[in-house]
Formats: sequence, C-alpha cells, structure tokens
Amino acid sequence: MSEDNAKEQNSIPTSKVQRSAKFVKTGFKVGGNYIKHYSKKLFNPDLDRTELNEDNAADIYESLSELKGSALKVAQMLSMDKNILPKAYVDKFSQSQYNAPPLSGPLIVQTFKKYFGKSPEQIYDKFNLKSTNAASIGQVHQAELNGEKLAVKIQYPGVGDSISSDLKLVKPFAFRLLGMSEKELDIYMREVEERLLEETDYELEVRRSIEFSTACSGLNNVVFPKYYPQLSSKRIITMSWLEGQHLREFLQTNPSQELRNQIGQALWDFYNFQQHELRAVHADPHPGNFLITPDGKLGIIDFGCIKEMPEDFYYPFFSLTSTNLLDNKEETIKAFRKLEMILPNDTPKQIEFYHGMYKQMIGLFAKPYMSSTFDFSETAFFDELYGFGEMVSRMPEFKQARGVKHFIYVNRTNFGLYNILHELQAQVRTDTYKPHVMAVV
Amino acid sequence: MATIKSIQSAYIDYVLTEGHEPKSVYLFAKNNDMTEDEFYRYFGSFEAVEQNIWAEFGKKTITEIKTQEVWPQYSSREKALSFFYSFFELLKGSRSFAIYSLKKQPRGISTPRVLDNLKTIFENFADELVRDGIETGELTDRKFFSKRYKDGLWMQFGFVLKFWTSDNSAGFEKTDEAIEKGLNVTFDLFQRSPIDNLIDYGKFLAKNGGFKEKMGF
Repeated sequence: MSEDNAKEQNSIPTSKVQRSAKFVKTGFKVGGNYIKHYSKKLFNPDLDRTELNEDNAADIYESLSELKGSALKVAQMLSMDKNILPKAYVDKFSQSQYNAPPLSGPLIVQTFKKYFGKSPEQIYDKFNLKSTNAASIGQVHQAELNGEKLAVKIQYPGVGDSISSDLKLVKPFAFRLLGMSEKELDIYMREVEERLLEETDYELEVRRSIEFSTACSGLNNVVFPKYYPQLSSKRIITMSWLEGQHLREFLQTNPSQELRNQIGQALWDFYNFQQHELRAVHADPHPGNFLITPDGKLGIIDFGCIKEMPEDFYYPFFSLTSTNLLDNKEETIKAFRKLEMILPNDTPKQIEFYHGMYKQMIGLFAKPYMSSTFDFSETAFFDELYGFGEMVSRMPEFKQARGVKHFIYVNRTNFGLYNILHELQAQVRTDTYKPHVMAVV
Repeated sequence: MATIKSIQSAYIDYVLTEGHEPKSVYLFAKNNDMTEDEFYRYFGSFEAVEQNIWAEFGKKTITEIKTQEVWPQYSSREKALSFFYSFFELLKGSRSFAIYSLKKQPRGISTPRVLDNLKTIFENFADELVRDGIETGELTDRKFFSKRYKDGLWMQFGFVLKFWTSDNSAGFEKTDEAIEKGLNVTFDLFQRSPIDNLIDYGKFLAKNGGFKEKMGF
C-alpha cells in the first residue's frame, strides 16, 4: 500500500494512512515524554509517574481530537455517538502496530524454541527469517514444508499487555473528552478491550479460522488458507500460502466490471452469510485482510477479530433494516428502546427527535438491502452517508452514549464492507443471504 | 569420586533446600561423602562454586548458539540478541538458583562477585562481536569509545538480568521485550548515527571559515 495511490482514493483508506501518520507522531511524543520523565528522575528519584501519564494521555488526547471529524466521520455515521472513541482506539492499535520494528531473527528463533522446543529450521524444510508482511500485531514469514508453501504469522511479544495498559491510560481523558460518565464509557471500553485481547490469542484464532472456513466453504468464489494447528501455538500460526494481490494492487490492474462484480459479490456473500447464518462475523474488513487470487477469487486471510451477535441485538436491529417496520412508529420506538438508542428516561420531545434521526440513519444503512441488487459505485449514496454523518457529529444531542455496545463492531464491519465495495465499484446482488426476521411481539 | 559437576549439583541442592550456603566446607564435604581435599581440588570457596556455575551458563550458551545453522548469516546485532535470548532461556531451568545467588549479593552498581567469571567470558564474546562488526562496517569505529562497546553490552546484560529476576510475566515475555528493545537501542548507538555527523560538522566548522571569530568567541 503505497502512499501515492492512497492519495487517489477519497474514502477511508486515505485517511487510514493519514491516521497512522498521526499516531506515529503521537508515538514520538509519548516516547519523548518517557525521556523527559527519566531524565527528571535522575535528579529526583522520588518522582512518580503521574506527570508522565498525564503527558502521555494529553498527547494521545490531542491526536484523537484532531482525528475527530475527519477520518472518523464514517464511524460516527452509524454509531452516532461516542462509539467513535473506541473506534479510534481500534485503529490506533491496528495501525500503530504496523509501525512496530520487525522482530529480530534471534527473537523469532527464540519464540519457536519457547513454544515448540525447536528452531524454525528444524520444523520447516525452509524458513525465511526476513518477514514478508506485517500483520496487525505480528509479522508474516514464508516457509516451506513437504513441498507446500506456508505463511507463518508470529506475534510481537507483549502486545496483550500494552493493549490493556494503554486503554487504562487514556480512559480518564476519554471521558473528559466525551463528557460521558465513567460507567457508560466502561461498557464500550470493555467491548473494545475484549475484542483486541481476543486478537492476541492465536490459538483461538486458529480454532475460529478452521471453524469459519469450514462453515463458509460452500460460498462461491471465496477461498481460505489451510490451517495447521499442530504447527501453531499461542504466538505462532502456520497456514498455507495464498497467492494473490491486495485490493489496491488488484484495482491498479484495471479489472473488468465483471471481475469486480464477482469479487464484490463474494465479499457481500461472505459477510452476509456470516451475519445472518452464523450470527458471528469477521469484524475486521480491513483491505489488508483480503487477497484476490489469480483466478479471480476472494482469499480471506485473517480471523483475528470475530464479533458474535446475540439474539437480543440481532433481531431488533435487522428487523429494522429488512422489514417495513420503520413505517410503524410505535414498533420502531420499541425496537429503538431494546437497542438502547432511546433511553428509558427520555422526554417525549427527545423520543421524537431520536426517532426521527435514527430512522433516517437506519433507512440509509438499509438501502442496499431494500432492493435485490445494489450498485456500490453510486457516489450519491456515499455522499449522503458522509453528509449525514458530518451533520450528526456536530449535533449536541449525540454527545451522550446511546446504542448497545454491539454497535461498535457491527457498524465497523458493515461500514468497512460498504467502503470496500465502493472502492471496487461493484454491482452486487444483495438478496443472497437475507437477514432473518422474527415478528416483533 | 567427586567431580566438578557433582559438587555443583550438591551445592545447588543444598542452598535451594536450606536457603543459605553450608556452614563450612568441612560439613558440606562430609554430607556429600567426599573429603575436604577433594572439594578444594576444584574450588577455593563456595563463592567459587557459584562463579563457576554462572560461567558455565555463559559457555554453554555460546557453544549452543554457535552451532545454530543461521549463526554465520547473523550480523553482530543478531549474534548479540541470540546470546541474550539463549542465555535467559537456559537460565530459566535454574531460575531458583539464579535468584538465590543474585539476591544475596550486596546492592551496588558494580558487578556482583558471583558473576566475575561469567563477565570475562561475556566480554571475550562481546569483543569478538564488536571486532567483527567494525570489520564488516556494521558498527562504527570511534576513538576511545569503540573499546568501551563491550562494557555497554555488559551493562545491558546486567540490566536484563536484574529485569528478569523480577519479571513475573508468563513465559518471561517481558524479558524478551526488554532484550529486543534494549539491544536494538544499544546497537543503534554503536552504529553511525546523526551524532557522528554532527561532531564531524562541528569539527569542520571549527577548522574552517573563521566560525569562532564571526560568532564573537
């Protein structure tokens, strides 16, 4: 992903590059704060870390508030509330990790020794000590065993710890920034922390990858690598190597509309099959997690982040998007209450206001579901989305926590999907895996 | 017949069960069916036993890493990293002894005496690395300083060792992090850096262009 073509795009990936740049800057500042702290400590050993923590949090806060309104517009769109903040963290962690220095050869050898008692050369026929790609919290190496080309993902040590401690560090500033109570914020923070920590558990990832790739094996034009649990551990995953191009490279080859539709359809089916049939979804539609294989199939290479959708979220939410429930005001409000978008002690005036806004918002979100095909190249639809998001982000009414915690990842997933489909300029049949709806009682 | 090995393991067993060193060489020898003479043939004191155990960790590590297939391809930086990782991996098996041995040392900045022999081995190893590194151009040869590189590495070693004794993360993952980050910084400093260029530029300005006069010095 070079910065040059990123500039050509005008949707989320551009801002992703900028965002990561932003966080690199913050990283420097935070590093500087540590140096400041330790040089002061040289002369005053009693100095505690309060000042350091404040300095760090202030700098992180600063970059967060700069990010607000630009890159996070899309996330604000459906979250419509303070969910934007956890979203910023999600990106901070996945993006800033990209800038982690590569693991040294000896550390890789050490990691293998620790988990398998053998060096990589003893396990594989060939192992390339130089990594080929950075994964979000680790790096990928090429290897070979019994004539098969393998991808070996190795996690950076200590990632899990830094997630929890960083989240703690920023929390006091986060709720000052958002003006919500610590208790409210905690719900969202915990949700993000849970997902992020799950991502660091590679044993879980292997189990899930196998589960999901088996469950999704019936889908057209979707391929998965083969996973090798016996060659995987808490910090290492071994899978077969998928040949292919990343989305950005694929688009540069000027693929035909037909091919773009095929990939788009595969993406749509993959996500909607999971959401509506498995009730658990690959919640990280980051372009880096997909490959387009030479024979025009969609390869899915990362199952680190899975969001499970409980029934008490799934049914109220999708009956809103997929039925004419929105026309029935009373029922709609009932559903909004279940999803905590309308709170028990809202005044009638507030109910009226939020009902109007959320109805408009969900109407927009559900647009692709409303017909049997949808053309994601339509800029008008996306302009409308962004415009609405922009407007809402400036409304004081949306400065408090609304919506159950599940929105964070479900929104991220569906928005990510819409954006990738937009980049692909794909026309997609949207009636392949329809939401299941229950009559709202 | 007592051997170096049997004395060492008997000693380790004793200190770990009792929590202190034996009252006298006489008692220790008697309990382990050997004569005092046999003990003194190998070691002059209990401290010497400990020094020897530490030194052996070092020797064993060096032999082990040098037999690795990738060893010849490693840069000096990677060789140093490899030593650190393997050393602490090896030490894991004798953590109780290591902690016992280090904890009873008086606190101070100087190297604990039990590590004296290990230090010699380490410094020889580090010297070799630094020389190789300077030869291949990986490290910068600086007047006065390049002779001190090995001291820098030893300090780093002491730091990681101390870190490791109080590390309670699973699998001592934090120690791995400390090694990776610490050694990378150390080697970055050994390499040609902006500071070298700055000094170079300063020298140039001092010699040329009447810099001093213009600045009114």
